[in-house]
Amino acid sequence: MNKTAWKRLTKRTEFYIFIVLIALIAGIQIVSGGQLLEPTTLVTILRGMVVDGMFALICLIVMISGGFDLSFPAISAFAYSAATTICVNQGWCETNPLAGFLLAILFGAILGAFNGWIIANFKLNTMIVTLGTQTFFTGLTMGLFQMKEITSTLPASFRALGESYFFEVYNSQGQRSTLTTSIVFLIIMIAVTSFVLRKTMFGRALYAIGGNEVSAERAGYNVKRIKFILYVAVGALAGFIGMVRVCLARQSIPKAMVGKEMAIIPAVILGGASIFGGEGSVFGTICAIGLITVVSNSMLLVGIDSYWQNFFNGLVILIGITISAVQAKRQRR
Amino acid sequence: MSEYLLEMSGICKAFSGVQALDHVNFHIRPGKVMCLAGENGCGKSTLVKIISGVYVRDQGDVFFQGQKLDRITPAEATRLGIQVIYQDLSIFPNLTVRENLAINSEITDRRRIVNRKRWTKTAEEALSRIGYQIDLDVKMGELSVADKQLVAICRALLFNARLIIMDEPTTALTKREVDALFRTVRKLKEEGIAIMFISHKVEEIFEISDDVCIMRNGKNVFEGPTADLTRDDFSYYMTGRRIQPDPFVPEHIQEKPVLEVEKLCADPYYHDISFQLRKGEILGITGLLGSGRTELAMSLFGLIRPDSGKILLNGQPVSIKSPEKAKELRIGYVPEDRLTEGLCMRQPIADNIMLASLDKVSRRGILNHRKLFSEACRWVKTFSIATDDPHKYAQTLSGGNQQKIVLSKWMNNNLDILILNGPTVGVDIGAKQDIHHLVHGLAHKGLAVIIISDDISEVVTNCSRVIVMKEGMIVGEMKSEEITDQRITEIIH
Amino acid sequence: MKFKNFANKNQYTVMLLVMLAAVLVFFSITRGSLLWTGDAWYGMAMQFPEYGLMTLGVMFCFITGNIDMSFVALGNFATIFAVRYMAANAAEGASDGHVRAVIVTGILITLLICLIGGFINGVLVTKLGIPPVMATIAMQLVWQGLSTALTQGNTVTGLPAMYTEIGHSKMFGFLPFPLFIFIIAFILCALIVRYTVYGEMIYMIGTNVKAVRYSGINTDRVVILTFVITALVSGVGSLIMVSTMASAKADYGSSYVMRVILILVLAGILPDGGMGKIPDLLLALVIIQIIASGVNMFASLNTYYASLIWGALLLIVLIASTKLSGGIFKIRDDKKKKQVSSQ
Repeated sequence: MNKTAWKRLTKRTEFYIFIVLIALIAGIQIVSGGQLLEPTTLVTILRGMVVDGMFALICLIVMISGGFDLSFPAISAFAYSAATTICVNQGWCETNPLAGFLLAILFGAILGAFNGWIIANFKLNTMIVTLGTQTFFTGLTMGLFQMKEITSTLPASFRALGESYFFEVYNSQGQRSTLTTSIVFLIIMIAVTSFVLRKTMFGRALYAIGGNEVSAERAGYNVKRIKFILYVAVGALAGFIGMVRVCLARQSIPKAMVGKEMAIIPAVILGGASIFGGEGSVFGTICAIGLITVVSNSMLLVGIDSYWQNFFNGLVILIGITISAVQAKRQRR
Repeated sequence: MSEYLLEMSGICKAFSGVQALDHVNFHIRPGKVMCLAGENGCGKSTLVKIISGVYVRDQGDVFFQGQKLDRITPAEATRLGIQVIYQDLSIFPNLTVRENLAINSEITDRRRIVNRKRWTKTAEEALSRIGYQIDLDVKMGELSVADKQLVAICRALLFNARLIIMDEPTTALTKREVDALFRTVRKLKEEGIAIMFISHKVEEIFEISDDVCIMRNGKNVFEGPTADLTRDDFSYYMTGRRIQPDPFVPEHIQEKPVLEVEKLCADPYYHDISFQLRKGEILGITGLLGSGRTELAMSLFGLIRPDSGKILLNGQPVSIKSPEKAKELRIGYVPEDRLTEGLCMRQPIADNIMLASLDKVSRRGILNHRKLFSEACRWVKTFSIATDDPHKYAQTLSGGNQQKIVLSKWMNNNLDILILNGPTVGVDIGAKQDIHHLVHGLAHKGLAVIIISDDISEVVTNCSRVIVMKEGMIVGEMKSEEITDQRITEIIH
Repeated sequence: MKFKNFANKNQYTVMLLVMLAAVLVFFSITRGSLLWTGDAWYGMAMQFPEYGLMTLGVMFCFITGNIDMSFVALGNFATIFAVRYMAANAAEGASDGHVRAVIVTGILITLLICLIGGFINGVLVTKLGIPPVMATIAMQLVWQGLSTALTQGNTVTGLPAMYTEIGHSKMFGFLPFPLFIFIIAFILCALIVRYTVYGEMIYMIGTNVKAVRYSGINTDRVVILTFVITALVSGVGSLIMVSTMASAKADYGSSYVMRVILILVLAGILPDGGMGKIPDLLLALVIIQIIASGVNMFASLNTYYASLIWGALLLIVLIASTKLSGGIFKIRDDKKKKQVSSQ
């Protein structure tokens, strides 16, 4: 029994990602002369994972259901831009950021519902639909509503939330780094997503639909409704994550999300999710995001110019997907 | 109380003016196996969908345990204990066996939270119904087709099933697996569960069924006990015509072999395969699913690289590295699965016919559309492919006609060797004979033909020599005089 | 009667024609005096060839059932090299003949790099079996990363003046040079798709690659060639972009990836493969460009209104097409099955 469990474990992509992550950390730790595992670097990496990690999780749940969402950055951008604009105009959120977050969630949910309505009702290819809605939503944000960049006028409570921290650490040169409180959001989201995916029938329905949609319908799932709920939830979360990002960056820039999907989706797939649906786990996704964040944050530590960051990100992903593709090919034989 | 579990009479159903079911009568008794037979498109699946509540009938009466049912919905059908096991089995390959078994009842009970213990209990209960044992933690996709099927049956039994409808359950099973399935079916019978078995394989129908209902063109042409039916009658009812077996008689077999295979091995598929093939003969290669027959054929067409051994063509050793090399060496291959390997369904018939010989209708890479079409039309006529317009998509044709397209694809290539893998799988009895005639003609014209098939009667009537494979080895070879059903069946198992 | 027959057979083309007419009528009514001027159409003719060529290139990928997301990044990478080379070798005061030779070499360098990039894409997809979306997204990151690293994120300038002059010249006195290149490429591609064995094969491969392979055709070679063609044709688009911008940069034209896919989908050429007609592609391109230019004619509207209309248009087409016979955008069961079995 133990042996079969081990065998099953070694078949999973998550397992390899985890090992690579550990190996990479060890390697960089040695090359950089112990700088990676210094507290300052660690808290920076954790901070870097907050927003991308949460985006990756919503991307993951869509992908498990067999969908491919290109529109979540556009939804997010609309939601946080609209929410901050309203807050600034109304003078809200000077002391409590709650209203802003609720607005962003609301806007996100509305746009998500639009996605969900089209995808569930017309049984269309999700990648193409979300390409259309992405373009449309971007047009809404920057065309129809002409939302502006908000930097210095950002409500104080957003700024405060972004700047709040659990503890501060100093490195040998006396540089200060802090562990942002927003890490809580990521932790909660990891917990909730894994609970939903593993322990609720809704989560199991997503796996079932991703595995075989026709069978899921025959088994008695209301596939239409589940898909609709999924896209509403994803939209709402995209709005929420966007707000977290606004707080952390201490500015709201409508354009900031453009192309985000191209950074997140590959990472999710690196973490073991299948673009054909039905496969993927929270653990693998977070490991993959961790891997990429570590790579981009440790460039300087190992003496590589930070302009190479994108290249190494791409390389890590290319190698990752190549290995899993070759492995899958071998297994088929 | 009626003696019938389900009684249907005068059922009619039309789709946009086309009468799919025309006053069909259908009865099934509890604890009996009823076979529903008929060629493709005869209305079998429409009837099943009416029973399971997917479609609503236009006319006719349905009684379940003597009670008249006005309208059947899918939920109502489940409540009554009607379970359909579709051909694709409706399983989730990415989930574990436990979850596959538990999922339906969890949904029906409107559960919200996963309870692994409850799942295990449900799953074990389901498996115990037919005394079947399997690791619950294995992913469904890793199981063999036979195991998947048993899991699907177990799942159906969870709903106090009284009638289980199985849609062509034996298609992808080996003989041994079919036997295991039939043992399960008999067990279910003893428990008083009625089984509706959809099939078009004569042998199986006679082996397992108590009653038979044969449909043709939306009408039922026979309904009654299997015992009242002979095999000849059966095929007559199925096709509407009497079919005489027409065995292949080789006319001129060349002395020199065109193909010699010596000690060919490809781990883990087959080992130590040696045989010869001559022009003018039809060589049959038969064996159970997984005996290595398909992989051997694929090696001859450059799709699987052998580990060791030699292949000689006209006495010259050759290495067949790829399909295009095989084509260059004048070897053609008609694959097993038309849908995924044989045809581009959503492309015109004409283009499919000419796919393997585009060089014949082009010059320096420039395609001559007119020539392509006229050549294709020639083959449509020669092979009497039933279409009014070769511009139409290949998917508009029936299985038999599709198979003729795959066959005609190779005809422009001036082949020496043609390998047919399962040439009549899913083909109606009538069209089957057409295809066999075509193949006989090709052999008479001097082609060397290999037919790979698990349909023993097909091999017996159409081959001048037969090789039997088992577990990757050749276990028997016989000449035309010695070929009989029984001998092959003996060796094969 | 004849028209009715045509309309039935080409429902999709008719739909695009109706849409084009609607767009034209709308802008004629609202901004007729601006739309029907030589300047407006000259502007359009200068703008669309660069992404038009990219669309044309990626079309080949889509027809074979693949997708390419790396073409813009690859084009940028290639042109960065070429511009650097040209800037270094065509010093001020060099003779025209010398400059001309340098420009030709620069173009060849671009195309050579594109060829290599396309080849890598093809190998990743065919020989290693990586799903094309993934392979090309990863390559996009790699190319863009390399470009950023090599240029430190800066703009590469110093193009010989002659290069930009050619880009802004008019052929035969009236035809803008980019449009001229586009027309030639369009005709060439249309001929390839319609009248060559290769064109026949890519449609068949897009429908069922296994069936084509089992017909004794080296499908891997055809697919690799397709990725190369895609990269080359869109590389020409990048060269035109360089002349418009008079420079090269790692992130030029990054919005073109999505725009190109949008145009192709609007034209009914889907990444599912085996579908689509070249005339539809031209119609979709023209529609997209007229909307972009039309929106520009409203002083109060920014360019993102075009994006709004494009998105809406695509969604309308998607939903409307589910009502057409065939429903080409529906999830295709056979395709899904194929993917699952090839996993």
